[in-house]
Amino acid sequence: MAAPVIEVSGVDKRWGTTQVLSGTSCAILPGVTGLLGANGAGKTTLLGMILGLHTPDAGHIRVFGLDPATAGPEIRARVGYSPEHHLLPPDVKAVDFVRHVAEVHGLPRREATTRASDALWQVGLGEERGRAMGTMSTGQRQRVKLAQALAHDPKLVLLDEPTDGLDPVQRDAMLELIHRIGHEFSITVLLSSHLLEEVERICDAAVIINGGRVAASGPLDILRAGGEGLAVELDGTEAEVNAALTAVYATGAQIRVDGDRYLITGDDRLFEVVRDAVASAGVGIRRLGRRTTSLEEVFLGVGAAEDPRQASVEAPR
Amino acid sequence: MTDLGPGEARILDRGYRHYRGDRSGVPGAIRSVVLHSVQRAMGLRRTLWAKVLPFAAVLIAYLPAIVFVGVIALFPTEDVPTDFLPSYGDYYSFVIAAIMVFVAVVAPEVLCTDRRTGMLGVYLSSPLNRDTYLVAKALAIGSVVSLVCLGPPLLMLVANVLQSQGPTGFADIALTFVRVLGAGLALTLLYTGVTMGIASLTDRKSVASAAIILLFLVSLSVTGILASVLDSDASLVGSVTVLSLDLATRVHGERSQIILGTSSVVVWTAWFIWTVGGFALARFNLKRLQVSR
Repeated sequence: MAAPVIEVSGVDKRWGTTQVLSGTSCAILPGVTGLLGANGAGKTTLLGMILGLHTPDAGHIRVFGLDPATAGPEIRARVGYSPEHHLLPPDVKAVDFVRHVAEVHGLPRREATTRASDALWQVGLGEERGRAMGTMSTGQRQRVKLAQALAHDPKLVLLDEPTDGLDPVQRDAMLELIHRIGHEFSITVLLSSHLLEEVERICDAAVIINGGRVAASGPLDILRAGGEGLAVELDGTEAEVNAALTAVYATGAQIRVDGDRYLITGDDRLFEVVRDAVASAGVGIRRLGRRTTSLEEVFLGVGAAEDPRQASVEAPR
Repeated sequence: MTDLGPGEARILDRGYRHYRGDRSGVPGAIRSVVLHSVQRAMGLRRTLWAKVLPFAAVLIAYLPAIVFVGVIALFPTEDVPTDFLPSYGDYYSFVIAAIMVFVAVVAPEVLCTDRRTGMLGVYLSSPLNRDTYLVAKALAIGSVVSLVCLGPPLLMLVANVLQSQGPTGFADIALTFVRVLGAGLALTLLYTGVTMGIASLTDRKSVASAAIILLFLVSLSVTGILASVLDSDASLVGSVTVLSLDLATRVHGERSQIILGTSSVVVWTAWFIWTVGGFALARFNLKRLQVSR
């Protein structure tokens, strides 16, 4: 397994009287990782500490094996950050802004100019790169923020609510681009979001923060493997499907309809029971597999737990 | 494969190219922020209206120098009254209004804009930290302020030497040059520190500019009243504008015209307090500013 890009260990952070993070621990591996949590859960604070903008009250953080509190400039030179707010200098052209941020991250002027233009093309603003940012829509400004985070070729990109304010079409395009950054450009992405569906769509792993603690973290396939029973999608007439389900139900199994799926729970022989019942009824099988839980179920499940740590899922080491 | 005619080719995917060259680190980041901030303060790469005020103020600051240089160049020396040309120390009294307006605009433009537009968060997510950011901003503001505090007397010196009107001989020229440089730098540091301190109190440019002008005028009035009530000019060191004019004459070894009967130690101590106090206030405010949470 690849070495973690970010390691957070037992981090506490308090703002005034509010305990924002408490004993937070997680490891971010290469790929795209979602940082999930409700508004005010401490996601932005954690991003700030990863960048070295705040120091933890307790615990420690390592980014590329370095401590952000002491090696902040070295870390930040290799990190792209897209902040949550939509504020950008209104009278500055997008290409000038992106080039300037690339230069501040150490690129020579000529290279910064080329890469600023390339990054704006990557995010779909090639034709708009000469426009002042004050004249741009929220969606375009979100893409400018992504371009500036990308232009200096970082090893790690931190995106704070990058789809905030986007319409569904823009959101799809943004998520597709973030997925490309993580998988085609080989840049580790940490995506902060309160939208479970986004994380589920494009992330390889997730860290769920609840009540200032990491409630669950790890690869998505492990986080979602907690479902019981089978998920089945059948292909046949209503009578045929009913016959098959009646035969399954007769064995004592429980059946629940979930959209096009049937979620079936029963004893150890469930797989064989379903297979045989479906074959007897002459029904086709579109999909038959172990039931997985959605991130929403994971989130709600851990959120409901009295002590969130009891429900935590640790990433394999 | 489809044959494409001229002009029909399209780029479908530009791909992604990693950068493998050297990075300039913190010095490069400071250099870039200085350049960007200077451009911003002077309205470069911005709208026409953004250029009007800074360029007008700079022009006004240079205008007397240009006029004096022109008079020297066009008229015979004997036709120019001896008291027509100001001394290097006195020059600032001709342009103090332009200097006040100019410095009241520069620091707010450079500092407040970053806070208001989120650029501060972008900068602090780069190799810069709060201290190196402040150094970069101070260098930028100082560079721009020196345009009006250092540039005009320097222009006069060059013109005087070329027209054989000013200091003669290498030693005299070098001494005058050092004094012009010293006075210009002292005023640049004073105005940079004071205006940065005030601009760090707010994220609104107009409020910061108004506060700076107000400080100049109020401190001038209050110290003027104090001087007459106490019958001592020493309290005038509490006025930034009077202090700057007096400093210039002292650096040039001219008899002080304004703060009479006050030792240079007091004047330089006041300069130190205003300047370092301004920088310290700016640093204090930046340190306690929450950028992202």
